[in-house]
Amino acid sequence: MTASQASAPRKRTPRKNRRWTKRSRRNLVTGLLFITPWIIGFLAFTFYPMVSSLYTSFTIYHVRAPSEWVGLANYQEMLADRRFWKALYNTFYMVIFAVPLMLFGSFLCAVLLNLKLKGQSFYRLVYFLPSIIPLVASTILWVWLFNTNNGLINVALGHLGIDGPSWLTDPQWSKPALIIMGLWGMGSTIIIYLSGLQDVPASLLEAAELDGASWWQRLWHVTIPMVSPITLFNLILGVIAMFQYFTQAYIFAGAQSSTAASGGRVLGAPLDSTLFYSVYLYHKAFINLKFGYASAMAWVLFIIIMICTIVLLRFSERWTYYGEEA
Amino acid sequence: MPGKRFWIVLTMLVVVVGLLAACAPAAAPETSEAPAADQAAASEAGGSGAGGETLNVWITWGDNPAQIQSLFNQYGEANGVEVVVNSPVDNDKVIAALSGSEPPDVLVLSGPDDVSTWVTEGLLEPLDDLAAANGIDLEDIYPAMLAQGKRGDSLYALPWGSDTYGLYWNKDLFEEAGLDPEKPPQTLEELVEYADKLTKVDADGKITQIGFVPDFSWSHIEQYAPMFGGYWVSDDGTQVLLDSQPIIDALKWEQQFYTKYGPEEVLRFVSSTGDYASAENGFMAGKVAMTVDGEWMVGPNFIEGLKPDLWYGVAPFPYPEAYPERANTNAVGGTVVVIPSGVKDVDASAKLLAWMMSPEVVAEEMIANYNLPSSKTAAEDPRFHENEKFVIFMELANDPNATTQIYTPVSSEISTELSLIEEQVLHAGADPEPLLKDAQEKLQAELDKALAQ
Amino acid sequence: MAETMAANQIAASQARSSRRMRKLLERTLGYTAATMIGFFFIFPVIWMFFTAFKSDQDVFRFPPTLLPHAVQYVDVAGERLPLYTVSPPDGEPRKLAMVKVSEGQGTYVNPDDPSEVFQTRARYAEPVLTVQFQWHNFVDAMNRGARPGLKVNFWTYFKNSSIIAFFTIIGTLFSCSLAAYGFARIHWPGRDVVFILVLSTMMLPFQVTMIPLFLFFTETLHWGNTFLPIIVPSFFANAFDIFLLRQFFRGIPEEMLDAARADGASEFRVFWSIVLPLSKPVLATIAIFTFLWAWNDFLGPLLYLNSPEKFTLALGLQDYQGQRNVAWNQLMAASVVFTMPVMIAFFFAQRTFIEGIKLTGSKG
Repeated sequence: MTASQASAPRKRTPRKNRRWTKRSRRNLVTGLLFITPWIIGFLAFTFYPMVSSLYTSFTIYHVRAPSEWVGLANYQEMLADRRFWKALYNTFYMVIFAVPLMLFGSFLCAVLLNLKLKGQSFYRLVYFLPSIIPLVASTILWVWLFNTNNGLINVALGHLGIDGPSWLTDPQWSKPALIIMGLWGMGSTIIIYLSGLQDVPASLLEAAELDGASWWQRLWHVTIPMVSPITLFNLILGVIAMFQYFTQAYIFAGAQSSTAASGGRVLGAPLDSTLFYSVYLYHKAFINLKFGYASAMAWVLFIIIMICTIVLLRFSERWTYYGEEA
Repeated sequence: MPGKRFWIVLTMLVVVVGLLAACAPAAAPETSEAPAADQAAASEAGGSGAGGETLNVWITWGDNPAQIQSLFNQYGEANGVEVVVNSPVDNDKVIAALSGSEPPDVLVLSGPDDVSTWVTEGLLEPLDDLAAANGIDLEDIYPAMLAQGKRGDSLYALPWGSDTYGLYWNKDLFEEAGLDPEKPPQTLEELVEYADKLTKVDADGKITQIGFVPDFSWSHIEQYAPMFGGYWVSDDGTQVLLDSQPIIDALKWEQQFYTKYGPEEVLRFVSSTGDYASAENGFMAGKVAMTVDGEWMVGPNFIEGLKPDLWYGVAPFPYPEAYPERANTNAVGGTVVVIPSGVKDVDASAKLLAWMMSPEVVAEEMIANYNLPSSKTAAEDPRFHENEKFVIFMELANDPNATTQIYTPVSSEISTELSLIEEQVLHAGADPEPLLKDAQEKLQAELDKALAQ
Repeated sequence: MAETMAANQIAASQARSSRRMRKLLERTLGYTAATMIGFFFIFPVIWMFFTAFKSDQDVFRFPPTLLPHAVQYVDVAGERLPLYTVSPPDGEPRKLAMVKVSEGQGTYVNPDDPSEVFQTRARYAEPVLTVQFQWHNFVDAMNRGARPGLKVNFWTYFKNSSIIAFFTIIGTLFSCSLAAYGFARIHWPGRDVVFILVLSTMMLPFQVTMIPLFLFFTETLHWGNTFLPIIVPSFFANAFDIFLLRQFFRGIPEEMLDAARADGASEFRVFWSIVLPLSKPVLATIAIFTFLWAWNDFLGPLLYLNSPEKFTLALGLQDYQGQRNVAWNQLMAASVVFTMPVMIAFFFAQRTFIEGIKLTGSKG
């Protein structure tokens, strides 16, 4: 399969000038027919809700009464909301620390899985296993592993003579704990990297090896540039996903609130250090019924994500290698 | 290459889904068939379109769902309907259901905190007329508790059971520490002194047993504030009093239990205690010597069921030495019942509500779970007076010094803010005064705005 | 000349042997690193597995042990009594059976001689623990009906999750492969612009559409508390999977398609009988990704499913985490049960699965 693909000539489309030939008109109809499901989905589940939520963000929403137009009031309230800034800070913290760590970690894992080791399938299963364990169970499991006194992690650290931190009750350590939890479940990113590594032409690596390049040199000068588009892909998707960090944080908050030390606080404990943007937004919408405020928060998030993506794409040109196609 | 048959099956499935999507109501019974299949009464439950055959009761707490279901089965059998109890339900589910098209027929909440917001949004039915029409005797309900369900002049929530808090102490640990196991602390000052004697620290400075944790399991500031002579909202509900002296004093008093051993050490220890409703609960496991807890703790869902061997006592919470007249001060709150607006049959809901509020049902439910009854008649039931530890709570709730919380349109905002401040003060050693001042300004403005509407 | 040849040969053989050495070193390092990192991934899973066999009391025991322990019982005069190590401050520790505890005072008997009765403070007694696997946790977890009125249990959630996952996979495969073909193999004017629009929807956080869609599905369509709001959108394509499929489709040689077209096959026919059969790896990849996503999806069910008989596993597992306690052992038992099938499927499908991802179309 791979061989037949490799030999396939790429056909470019030199038809720019003859745009509206009969063939291209027919193609337009066929093409649009093929993407009809997407067009309907885009209009119904993306475009309409976008417009609607933009409108809602300028209103105070009432469930059983018409909304009130309040102009920029929701956005002004956001500026003055200390918890909004805290949530934004926490989310940026995760984007800045968790995403690069995950990229690095999953690349490393993929490289190891791509070595021709005995029992390779077993290793792959092990690395992927955490991603198939239900998040509810794994999050609760980690909350328990992180327990300061009884948790396995600190007990293990204790055997090494290290006095483990109070992972979940110290605001300095709660986010690192969540990052470790995230690293544990990064199987999908590993798989994407692994597939990229398998596409690195063996001939290139062999040539490098014959030239006496060490494993490290091959990795640095051949593999990493060759998978740079995948790094960009994972980076951008990782950043976008991390800005929307929700499920783990939500379950984490629930699991935390049942512990005696949280004082029953549902959200963000300890000391709002795990109050993330999406969770706060969800809480504003579905606990406090402030749909307008939540919509305004959603739009601010959208703009932040857009800016970050564009910046990343801009800077990526310097370090991404697309082969001859670029 | 996938066979032809595969694609045919696939296409058929897609068509089926498309059809399901086209007629949504038809899809609902299809998917709920299986769980109902093993139900004996399933045949009666069919055809929910006619309304009234199935009543859904949602309860946002639930220590013993089986018991509560069998209680409602009595109503079902007597009236030829099926009552399905869903307990516990998460708060966010409740709001989604209230603002959506399928609210539960009757909703039981752990407290009236959210009632104000929901009334403003028109999500609840006013109950005055429905109560009168269905013969609910409002005179029989303790007035202070009834008042909690009023917003403006209308009644939106009826109190079902109520709760109050007292001091629990572990007699074993008292004896071990050289204290008289039969003598709990009388004053707040004594409590501090006892707590110190009951706290054990090992050679590494790690706590191995703690005397008292002021916010164990959850915040209890609504109990402490009245002990220090105040509350965070004025009695008429128009003034926020967050930065008043009683609140500052209460927070500072709470703070000392953390500063004495270092917040990190206390938290480290407290977080190693087990789940609240288990024998590993810090108090039941003998790791926390004294705690503030509710009347239910005595009952079968908690100590009586989980740790019957525990040697412990219950007493009113201590008062400040300088104010002996504040003895027996406590804050009563409790579960309330509401009817969401937009239920399929308001009269059926109201009828069920009336049954729930009848003294016999109140008595039965509250005795089963060890909660305080909201009905005066029910409170006379001898079963409430059998357990001497429970009786302490019955008396506390009826004490002249018993208080209730005051609800305003911004109650939930105030409690969120206060809970965050309490966390800052207790767990991070912050000074309460500037935080309270800040919150005071912000929330007074919000309250003024809400009241002006 | 000859000298340089010889020197070259020596150098080459040296290089060979040093290369062999380096290879060996690399392999050893590879195994060590892969195993160590593997340990990080697998240990919590092993811990979860053993927790599933623990008793309620065992879960919070300090220090934690991997193997499940429980209190040992002994037969004393026909009665099963728990065994305790009783060590009063003024005596030797002894293994005694506990008869009762009241007001902090414990009554113990010598299991070998029931007439020997001891009275002491219960706090001086520690239960005797032995390794015991609680198999019934699995049975309890499967049958657990946290809400008796609703007769829901693990299998209800399992069934709901399966229904949702199944239709989501079908919908995604169907709609995304169609759209991807439209973007990959048909040259129509404006295609690239529209494709950029498709990709840019990936930037849109779900929070923006969450509230309007919630209102649209529940208020307008009255789809609250049904699976429809979760399943139906998957029939209308999503950017990530379109992208993945498009990359793969672009790698299929044009001649194969042209040959079919020359035979008079319609574009749909080309797609259906040539492109799709060649794309099994990527379809498998997407099926697995979609499955994982649907299986773990939390927010959709959280928003739309209100009553427990509609809950998915992700939501239903929260039953084990009550408001005031967590049934750790049952939660872990249920998780073990429902991780197993996915694990086996992954083990056998992994090669296809990894082949399916072709992000960099250039090497197609």
